[in-house]
Amino acid sequence: MLSSFKRTLDVGLQWLLIALMIILTIVVMVAVAYRKLGASLVWYDEVASVLMAWITYYGAALAALRRQHIGFDGLLVKLPPRARLVAILIGEVAVLAFFALLAWTGLKVLAVVGDESLISLPWVSVTVTQSVIPISAVLFIICELLSFPEYARRVMAGESVGHGPDESHARPAAPGGSASDGRGA
Amino acid sequence: MLIVLMLLVLVGLTLINVPIAVALAAAAVSGMLYTQGSDSLVSVAIEMYRGSTSFSLIAIPMFVLAGAIMNAGGITRRLIDFVAALMGFMRGGLAMVTIGVSMLFAEISGSAVADVAAIGSILMPAMKKQGYPAPFTAAVNSSAASLAIIIPPSIPMILYAIAANTSVEQLFVAGFVPGLIGGLGLMLVARWLTKRYDLPAAEGFSLRRVRDTFIEALPTFLLPVIILGGIFSGLVTATEAAGLAVLAAIIVGLWYREFDIAHLRVAMLDGGMQTAVVMLLVAASILMGDLLTVSRLPQQLADSILNLTSNKWLILLILNVLFLVIGFFLHSSAAIILVIPIVMPLIQRVGIDPIHFGLVVTLNLAIGQQTPPVASVLITACAIAKADIWETTKVNVYFIGVLLGVLLLCTYVPAVPMFLVHYFYAKP
Repeated sequence: MLSSFKRTLDVGLQWLLIALMIILTIVVMVAVAYRKLGASLVWYDEVASVLMAWITYYGAALAALRRQHIGFDGLLVKLPPRARLVAILIGEVAVLAFFALLAWTGLKVLAVVGDESLISLPWVSVTVTQSVIPISAVLFIICELLSFPEYARRVMAGESVGHGPDESHARPAAPGGSASDGRGA
Repeated sequence: MLIVLMLLVLVGLTLINVPIAVALAAAAVSGMLYTQGSDSLVSVAIEMYRGSTSFSLIAIPMFVLAGAIMNAGGITRRLIDFVAALMGFMRGGLAMVTIGVSMLFAEISGSAVADVAAIGSILMPAMKKQGYPAPFTAAVNSSAASLAIIIPPSIPMILYAIAANTSVEQLFVAGFVPGLIGGLGLMLVARWLTKRYDLPAAEGFSLRRVRDTFIEALPTFLLPVIILGGIFSGLVTATEAAGLAVLAAIIVGLWYREFDIAHLRVAMLDGGMQTAVVMLLVAASILMGDLLTVSRLPQQLADSILNLTSNKWLILLILNVLFLVIGFFLHSSAAIILVIPIVMPLIQRVGIDPIHFGLVVTLNLAIGQQTPPVASVLITACAIAKADIWETTKVNVYFIGVLLGVLLLCTYVPAVPMFLVHYFYAKP
């Protein structure tokens, strides 16, 4: 039940991230073309910036689900088991507390910006663009909780849990490589 | 007191494997609570959002994508075929081919890990089949891949330019000559090692094959021409060059009619994740930014080092040692985001050119990618070659020596990286 929810969330975030990447790519290419033709798009900077923010925070939630944020596990896996367990728990509480704070302050900001809109695109409300902070912060918390049991098990077993997203490239670049799990089998 | 508190939170959380971005943000939050009380916390959301909208960082996902699309579109294979025809006849031909292709690939891709995955997954199995020992195979691929961040474009350089508030285009130009020297140096060492291991040539030399593979690969050369030509001539910014590179990679891929959609999907996802993870770090560093100014940590560090010495060469030596040590333990993006804002005032006061320093930092990080335990590129290479990390490192030491030599050369003879910068961007 929980693992199927985790998989659904993973797939959903994957497609969201891919869609955002495609839109960003198209926006950048169109903007370059326009600029070279001598007619700059007024909305380019603002829209591209919003897209970057969305890629950052929704991607960060996915990276939390797959435990691919850049970290340093060299000391943690060498601690004696009891201390290791305590350290894991303190670390998790710190991460959850920060994103709870981010979600809460993000909501407060939304209440303040109210009916403001983007400068270059007046029909796009800032509430929509900035909603990414509270929404993704809650998603981050859910993802962190869902990936916690597996993470704790691996750290307690003394396995290295990686240091960043780069290692997800470790699978061969041959066509048809498994994409569903960045950590690989 | 503020400095002690923030350092305690940052180092404490980092040591228990809290993501460094979160550790940095938590340190900033603790500093905000200490200096301004809980009312200031609402700016956490504002700053974290603002930090993730850094416009010039759009080049990062674009260059990641360009490299990925090249791979999905059959471009990598054609580059390898051409370089194999050109260099494969030498003793230890495939090792030479690996370095040669890495140098070409580096002009399009900005990520060394992407390089080693793309090139290594094709060349490493071939090398092992010809009897190359696995550790040697992994070592050559790993150290050659690090040329990707020295030769433009380069993702660490884009990050450095943001952190140091300097020109990424000039930094790209500065990386060109050191990258070439590094590549040639790696080839010399590889040649010496292949004699020692008595390794075979890959194929006989045929002028006709060189010609055929060159024609086949010709559209591929469009990419470096667009990227380097555009940036060096000042026609496009780094971000625009990145956008054009994606477009060119798509066109060349369509020309070859080999698009692999499944691979492209993975590439998009990897590119997005890599961007997200780096950007979260950047956002957290923006949150920390104001506090660094308030705490005066960078100024105090500059003062205390300047009390010891104001010799710029000695200070460069100290910083080199610092970055080399950090490279053992930290991912390159994290190293830049954490250290550059703190050392920049020192660099400015001693009168070191920030472009020159940026290149020195990049070379250090290239070495850091090769030095375990945290060595993203080496670990990827070893995973593909199925080689032991420590056995590989014993061979890789020779290649790391080359990179160290380039680092020392570029640190103490600034003209080596800088003459091209001065040529293209004549100082007013």
